[in-house]
Amino acid sequence: MKTRARLTLAAVGVAALLPVLLPHPFVLTIATQAAIWALLAASWDLLSGYTGQISFGHAGFFALGAYGAAVATKHADLSPWLGLLVGAGVAAAVGLLTGFPALRLRGHYLALVTLGLAEIIRLVAQNWLEVTGGPFGIHDFRSLPGLPAGALVAAMYQVCERTSAGQAFRAIREDEVLAQTLGIDTTRYKLLAFTLSSAFAGLAGGLYAYYVQLVNPVIAGAATTSLVIGMVVFGGLGTLWGPVLGALLLYGLYEGLRFVGVVYNLVAVGFVIMVFVIFFPRGLAGLGRSA
Amino acid sequence: MLESLLEFLIQGVVLGGLYALFAVGLSLIFGVLDVINVAHGEFFAVGGYLAFAAVVLLHLPGAAGVLGAAVGTFLLGLCVYPLLIAPLKRRLGGRPQGPLYLVLTLGLSTFLQSSLLALAGGDYLRVPPQVSGILDLGVTAVSHQRLLVLAVAAALLTALFAFLRFHPEGLAVRAVALNPDAAQAMGINLPRIFSLTLALGVALAGVGGALMAPLFNVYPAVGFPLTIKAFAITILGGMGNPVGALVASFLISIAESLSVMVIPSQWQSLIAFAVMIVMLLVRPRGLLGRAVSR
Repeated sequence: MKTRARLTLAAVGVAALLPVLLPHPFVLTIATQAAIWALLAASWDLLSGYTGQISFGHAGFFALGAYGAAVATKHADLSPWLGLLVGAGVAAAVGLLTGFPALRLRGHYLALVTLGLAEIIRLVAQNWLEVTGGPFGIHDFRSLPGLPAGALVAAMYQVCERTSAGQAFRAIREDEVLAQTLGIDTTRYKLLAFTLSSAFAGLAGGLYAYYVQLVNPVIAGAATTSLVIGMVVFGGLGTLWGPVLGALLLYGLYEGLRFVGVVYNLVAVGFVIMVFVIFFPRGLAGLGRSA
Repeated sequence: MLESLLEFLIQGVVLGGLYALFAVGLSLIFGVLDVINVAHGEFFAVGGYLAFAAVVLLHLPGAAGVLGAAVGTFLLGLCVYPLLIAPLKRRLGGRPQGPLYLVLTLGLSTFLQSSLLALAGGDYLRVPPQVSGILDLGVTAVSHQRLLVLAVAAALLTALFAFLRFHPEGLAVRAVALNPDAAQAMGINLPRIFSLTLALGVALAGVGGALMAPLFNVYPAVGFPLTIKAFAITILGGMGNPVGALVASFLISIAESLSVMVIPSQWQSLIAFAVMIVMLLVRPRGLLGRAVSR
């Protein structure tokens, strides 16, 4: 586990150095976007893999972060750093509000409720023309490099691996009743997991908005959630570093296959998800360990 | 006022036929296999493409397109259990499934949708209606195509419920939904029932896709929004309860079409999700659901 985590860190390091070694704009773009996707994938894993609360709505939190940041910069003329915080704050607030009803739901039901939430967010983004710009979205606002994504992933890893919150999250996933009898305030920690996860998803959204310079309702669509869950399953549920690796590789594959044909990359993503779920349910993180 | 109320009510009932065709299959699959088929809408899309292939490319009559869609999606659905779900089930053994089945069908959804994109391109394809003409009801006019959707939905769902009620194979499906272990102990071949249920469920969606193709056009992602809406419908009706899904389909479709009188039509789709969220908070088992916590 420890060596694997180190290997991943090394892989992330190589990915981070790649733009320096190969200072081609295409490589830089892909590396930055992969890092942002890695942050989003890790945020999903924090809630769903670590704490066991399945969300199908992370595209919604991502979009809230992206729109929050874009609106703050474009309409309120805030600095991008503040915009990032605004986006994360909006996402975290909605995440916390989702957490309350979600306390009563689990498994399938929670997944479907969060999917519905993301659909609502997408519809609002599409129809609230004055603020969101409707189907065309918001573009042309001040930018920010996407590189902080790496630091944010590291911060999330610290929270989950070094603090008692991380232990509580895992205890809730493994056996909620047992966690309760052990004196873990499961309500508090579940809400914390919801808030943290949606805040990091919002940060990923903000970084995405500032890097890509365009937010539109498409990013709130289920395809975003699908890609992110694919990355996590590919990398390994509940490990945080697995999803990061999964995101870097799967996003690389996704972009790399554009040379073969724009449509085949999604065929491949769907195929990779199915094969990994069936044959390696623990993802890359579980390779080499007995299943 | 009363006239427009009647008009929207009629449109709602017609739309409800499509929702029912789609959601009853989804609910049946969940009830029997305990798997939420995220790829359900892609079978709807495949049905639309098969209708397009039969009618536009092969110049066959419209009925052949619908039949082709039914058979094609049924056969495709037969492969899903043995190729995807059974291997995962074997690998999991008795361990908790977590999100794995959801992720699996999500992967299938992405795979099918993008395969359609690769095969047929992203263009909106037009399919000629199976029947033409318009029925004038005084307060409103309904195209014969929409009435055909409603009639076929009514016929197929009646056949399905009769099958589940009277046919030995249908009884076996219900037995498996109630208690798979006991059903197996009585000599029911579980993999066979699982495959059959999945194929039947997605074939209903495929027929829906073929019938709606003239109204919606056909493109790879045509079914996905319907899947999300059908989740809301199955939750309202009680997950795994096909009768509940039938009732909820009409409730949602009528609520949606009546809502146009109060809110702008682009917010119409919100209703299903709002109902779903309220329902999950107030009565998670749905209107007609079993009192089981999952």
